[in-house]
Amino acid sequence: MDIELSSEDLAFRGEVKQFFKDNEIKAGEDYFAWRFGWFAKAREKGGWDVPKWPVEFGGPGWSPTQHYIWEQETAEANTPFDLPFGLSMLAPILMGYGNKEQQDRFLPDIRDRKVNWCQGYSEPGAGSDLANLKTKAELSEDGTYYTVNGSKMWTTVAHMADWIFCLTRTDDSGIKQKGITFLLFPMKQEGVEVRPIITLGGSHTVNTVHFTDVKVPVENRVGEEGQGWTYAKGLLQHERTGLAGLSRSIVALEKLKENARSVVRGNSNLMDDPGYKAKVAELEIDLMASEFTELRSLASAAAGAAPGPESSILKLKGTEIQQRIQMLTVEAGGIYSAAWGAKPVGPSFARGGMAGYLSSRAYTIYGGASEVQRDVIAKNVLGLKRSK
Amino acid sequence: MNFELTEEQRMIQESVERFVNENYELDNRIALSAKDPGFSTEYWQTMAELGWLGLPFSEADGGFGGNQIDIMVVMEQFGRGLVLEPYLASVVMGGGAVRRGGSEALKQEILPGVIDGTKQLAFAYAEQQSRFDLDDVVTSARKDGENVVINGHKSMVLNAETADHIVVSARTSGGQVDQNGITMFLIDADADGVKRENFPTVDGLRASEITLTDVTVAADRVLSEVDQGFALLQSVANDAMLALGAEAVGAMEMLYKDTVAYTQEREQFDHAISEFQVVQHRMVDMFMEYEQCKSLLYRATMEAVSDPVAAQRTIHGLMHLVGKNGIFIGENAVQLHGGMGMTEELRLGHYFKRMLVIDSMFGNADYHLQKFAA
Repeated sequence: MDIELSSEDLAFRGEVKQFFKDNEIKAGEDYFAWRFGWFAKAREKGGWDVPKWPVEFGGPGWSPTQHYIWEQETAEANTPFDLPFGLSMLAPILMGYGNKEQQDRFLPDIRDRKVNWCQGYSEPGAGSDLANLKTKAELSEDGTYYTVNGSKMWTTVAHMADWIFCLTRTDDSGIKQKGITFLLFPMKQEGVEVRPIITLGGSHTVNTVHFTDVKVPVENRVGEEGQGWTYAKGLLQHERTGLAGLSRSIVALEKLKENARSVVRGNSNLMDDPGYKAKVAELEIDLMASEFTELRSLASAAAGAAPGPESSILKLKGTEIQQRIQMLTVEAGGIYSAAWGAKPVGPSFARGGMAGYLSSRAYTIYGGASEVQRDVIAKNVLGLKRSK
Repeated sequence: MNFELTEEQRMIQESVERFVNENYELDNRIALSAKDPGFSTEYWQTMAELGWLGLPFSEADGGFGGNQIDIMVVMEQFGRGLVLEPYLASVVMGGGAVRRGGSEALKQEILPGVIDGTKQLAFAYAEQQSRFDLDDVVTSARKDGENVVINGHKSMVLNAETADHIVVSARTSGGQVDQNGITMFLIDADADGVKRENFPTVDGLRASEITLTDVTVAADRVLSEVDQGFALLQSVANDAMLALGAEAVGAMEMLYKDTVAYTQEREQFDHAISEFQVVQHRMVDMFMEYEQCKSLLYRATMEAVSDPVAAQRTIHGLMHLVGKNGIFIGENAVQLHGGMGMTEELRLGHYFKRMLVIDSMFGNADYHLQKFAA
């Protein structure tokens, strides 16, 4: 065991920092032009545009330490926004279970950030119990296309997506996990209706999506009919790790301290308040531990182990840490955290602080609610029988 | 000792409960909140006619001679309905300041309008730098002949947008955080030099930032005594905290009951989620913390009636518990509702937001814990 970074790792960190510095957005530059250019340059570095993709699909083949360094630096630098749906959720499924035609057809546009994807998993009756999904896909008699009917819910960015990867039910005769089929189809077509869901923070990112007789050619089916659950399930573990957002929390914690220090109390500031300071310290300790839980998990993944139940630990701890940072931001805002609406009132972080806190309540619900994550650990790690 | 409400209080309770049930459907509340003036003037008039606006005022002032227990009864029901009308601002706070600190002449000028609903008051106690400290006052008031001239900035003033008069804390002597040297004034909301920036709060109510520039008021608009206004300020804040505590208890009751109902309807893994022990125990905790808040609310309110000085510490204890448990209950109501808890479509999110605002008004849970321990 050794906590020091090797000279190669240090050199890598320097290279990453330099890359971010060289490619910062310039004043007056068009954001989207910069964004596409940034990813093109990252690609020239040898797969830096797709850090998590395997080498055979163009990824950089980094060590766990290099991934960790990248995560840390990305959180601190001003890098272009990126959505995980195509890049981190669909792409690994296509790589693992899609055929060559599907890989050649979809992966390049995902890599180039040309096509936006959304994830059609949850439904009104299928949240934590995802396998309970009812959206029906019926194969035509000639076997050339499916007809999809049903509803998806909590579909993030569905209103901006070009395509959806969708879990559908093709057979309801057996256990719920069987008879689920993984389909890909365009969002901008007749029979697909997207309705916004406005969440507590007042924002619109999630939607309900209704399908009425949507025709999907069989060549858009990933893998075999009825096996979709197997394909989707493995990837949920990856999603969970991603949702922990630890490197973002490290940056957010520093921002929190800065905000708290700006709240003047007599001759000092809120960071000198014993109660407040203790809560921030407790948070920081949990974050430091979680960071190393993540590294240990990366290290065992590098040694060839499948992403295991530690992804549930990370999801639980990581999302709770994010929520605590948001709550402490609300506390720092004091009386001004109640202010709402378009006009800025009070310290600049107060309005966003309350919105952020409200949105953060979803972190322990989506991607597998905390109660379900604890079930996963109880069952798969502690070997306990399922309780009621 | 006796925990029974009087016959009159029971009648008020039933009447407010009926009013809330008949008028405060979520859709209606959202519509009222979105358009000016942010509440229903018709409901406000109804509240006046039913005598609720006159509850805490003495019979000599035209009221019903009620106390904090009567206010508690009303506010708990208001909390169950998330009522928007400016009862706290106008009757409890503004009216409370005039009732306790106004001269006979001032009371006769102001209170009849408060009681019949034609006049509204607001109470401006917070400032940009003050956070939760009532004694942190830099808004200045200096004598100018027969008048007083006020300059400064008051923050997060609830319902100032529709107020006719605003009670303002200002510094007439002493340093920034001295309790001596604070004086309370009643100013006209549309007086020269009063500038209101109005905005909504996250719970759907309205507040204002108020800039006071050479606002001139007659010396007889002082409430209580010059330099000795802090005791009045603290008394009004105590009444407000008790009222908020009662409102919070009403909101908590809805939050835990809605959650108990929802988890029995929502099925996952082929069971109502209420059948899972982890869900049951969480709801038991929510229920217990609600009951604890209700108990401390009763204790603090009864103490405030019988021994206001001794009640101070209990009120801080109450606001600690209400802040902490209100957020605990709200967060878990959202969690157990899953995605549905995150939408504006169900009422629980609105109760939750009200709990957050209550925790921000006169000090959050941490602040009151420190005050209690001090």
